[in-house]
Amino acid sequence: MLQFVGKRLLATIPTLFGVLVVAFLLLNVVPGDPVAEMVGERADSATIARLRAELRLDDPLPVQFGHYLWGVVRGDLGNSYITQRPVLGDLAERFPKTLQLAGAAMLLAVSLGITLGVIAAVRPHGAVDRFSMLLAYVGVSFPVYWVGLLLILLFAVTLRWLPPSGYGGIAFLVLPALTLGTRSIAFLARMTRGAMIDVLSSDFVRTARAKGLSEMRVIGRHAFRNALLPVITVLGLDVGNYLTGSILTETIFSWPGVGRYVLQAIEKRDLPAVQGSILFLSVVFVLVNLITDLLYAKADPRVAYD
Amino acid sequence: MLFVCLLLACGGEARTGLVYYETYDPRSLDPALSTDVPTGEMVTLLFDGLTQFDPDGRLLPGLADRWTAERGGQRYVFHLRPGVKFHDGRPLVAADVKRSFVRVLDPATRGGRVWPLQPIQGGAAGIDVLGDTAVAFTLTEPLAVFPKFLAMPVAAVVPVPVPADFGQRPVGSGPWRFAAWRHDDELKFSRNPDYWGGAPVAESLTVRIIPEPFTRGAEFLAGRLSVAEIPFGETAKWEQEHPAWLQRKPALRAIYVALNNRRGPLRDTRVRQAINHAVNVPEILRTVWNGRGIAARGAIPPSLGGGDTTRAGYAYDTVTARRLLAQAGYANGFAIQLWRSGTNVEQGRVAQAIQAQLAAVGVRVEMVARDASSMREAARKGEADMAMLDWWADYPDGDNFLYPLFHSASFGPGGNYAFYSDPVTDSLIMVARRTTDDAAREALYHRIDGRVYEAAPWLYLWFPVDLWAEHPSITGWEIPVIFNGQRWTKAHAAVRR
Repeated sequence: MLQFVGKRLLATIPTLFGVLVVAFLLLNVVPGDPVAEMVGERADSATIARLRAELRLDDPLPVQFGHYLWGVVRGDLGNSYITQRPVLGDLAERFPKTLQLAGAAMLLAVSLGITLGVIAAVRPHGAVDRFSMLLAYVGVSFPVYWVGLLLILLFAVTLRWLPPSGYGGIAFLVLPALTLGTRSIAFLARMTRGAMIDVLSSDFVRTARAKGLSEMRVIGRHAFRNALLPVITVLGLDVGNYLTGSILTETIFSWPGVGRYVLQAIEKRDLPAVQGSILFLSVVFVLVNLITDLLYAKADPRVAYD
Repeated sequence: MLFVCLLLACGGEARTGLVYYETYDPRSLDPALSTDVPTGEMVTLLFDGLTQFDPDGRLLPGLADRWTAERGGQRYVFHLRPGVKFHDGRPLVAADVKRSFVRVLDPATRGGRVWPLQPIQGGAAGIDVLGDTAVAFTLTEPLAVFPKFLAMPVAAVVPVPVPADFGQRPVGSGPWRFAAWRHDDELKFSRNPDYWGGAPVAESLTVRIIPEPFTRGAEFLAGRLSVAEIPFGETAKWEQEHPAWLQRKPALRAIYVALNNRRGPLRDTRVRQAINHAVNVPEILRTVWNGRGIAARGAIPPSLGGGDTTRAGYAYDTVTARRLLAQAGYANGFAIQLWRSGTNVEQGRVAQAIQAQLAAVGVRVEMVARDASSMREAARKGEADMAMLDWWADYPDGDNFLYPLFHSASFGPGGNYAFYSDPVTDSLIMVARRTTDDAAREALYHRIDGRVYEAAPWLYLWFPVDLWAEHPSITGWEIPVIFNGQRWTKAHAAVRR
């Protein structure tokens, strides 16, 4: 097991290197001058030229990349061009907030999505099934942005139950988590339903029923556990959605997380901040995939990594 | 009215202090790094300059209670008001002014936006500290607007030497003291009870970071913001639903399309004039911009000396436009690119209207929508034929709408995105800059603006009118015409029962 984890971690190094190369090249192809964004309107050309030189932006690309890579190896993601603060510190300040939001959204997705899916699967094509699948269909189809605006209008402006945006206690978390989780809730509900229906028609479920187990036990223990495998896959893949979805959600809800940081950095052509964020998010993504794989083994004894 | 009462009574979430917002996190709270509006506004709360602006853009004394211009405006002596202290209790003296300016001009500071201090001859050499109470500046050439430059946030006085984390935990002398900053979330300020200009009425000021205009409106309606700017697209809705909360004021801002005077058919003055004749500006202003603006007949807004919106303008007249195009040899029109920022929805609609109207005279406009940074880069490098732009004043003076926008020394990054070049205009602008008599200088501005207007380096559009909603519990706040014209000292929120 440990050996497997070690191997997988080693294998991530070339992946991350590739990510860095691609990110670096893309950022250098995109038009827009980081120094011009840094000094604002009405800058003189001499200042711009001096800053370009100081930031090594006039060096050949391989030299610039080597310099950056050497920093990364030493655990230094550089300083933001705009704020002059270390990028790593900025990310460390914001990531827990993104994690909090993603965690809450995932909790909602798992509890609501799986419950809906199981209920729907118990009586396929019944009223509950039709209703929850309609809900799921709608949830998958609506853009995150639009869901967020609707939630703010309803719960913050009209009903005044919750604050429209900002960072704080649980009250501030509900709307953005729901917004970020909507697609996942809907998607998980459909996935779970499908997997459950498959499993419920299998032999071992009939056997479980035949030996007189309660329906609760049949569904909860025998069927559900077997249906969980594809659900875990989807959840793992969804983490990527949580990270990218957080860009929109955090912007709409003024949530001070990594998503907004990345967006701002891109708009300002803050190269170290963009590169650092991409690297950071890639590491998170790789780790999440590893955890997903480990969870397979936990959920299904047939999967073993030794 | 019932709604207002409900708002006051049930806004359990609402805070008692003042709450303002910015659309993105300030770069820093260090005046030397104030290159954008959020940073500049925050620096204005915390720090003082030698001079300052009121909300209507009038120049007022700041740390200097009086100043004199000598040698025809080439040397200025500023006398500091006595007894001013930094927030940490240290007295503010004339040497602090020099040290602050030298720090800004030092390349190691990497600030960038140093132009307000560049007129000083030889940097540090041109600054003379005269005892503890006065400081003199010798300029490379006479500059009548120099006292206005010194109200810019970059020229704020800081207690040098400053610690490394000064941008995060600033110590100034301004009306508000720094209390806390949670990045991308909010900044908190507490009143400076010892402020020389009179302590702020309110106890605290919170500045929240709210990137999305829709959310900003929702926050305001939920009673959690003291004031909020109304986007142009939502004008009619707010005027209908909440007329009692609205304040309006003409902004020191110009919306225009820079016509690159060095590219293709646009090199010909007649073509540029034809474009001005071919676009029905009042109609676009009324329909697309909700009428929130004053049609421009020059670049200087009418509220500034030298501004004029009554001079004979380019009337909407497609016949004249076609005749001018034919005279220039483009009887069959031509194809041209119009660059705009893809994220600016309001400007996008204006650009589309322009595209449609120019098509009627045979000018086939290809729209190039890029993100703001790419678009500005193309315009700055002179690679855009036409660029949809928006100019905000840095200081309330006609010079700010002439020197950066039309002087040939300001090509590209300096602000002259039209690459307009005319030796007579250049020299007239320099004469105006040297003219210390305000009336004479403004008469010159008027003349220069008219001269440029005839050459049509822009498609002149309009000067926007700002529209803000103010929470009914707030008094003592008014819209600033310039970003650093509101220091929140008189504003105050009524106590709730």
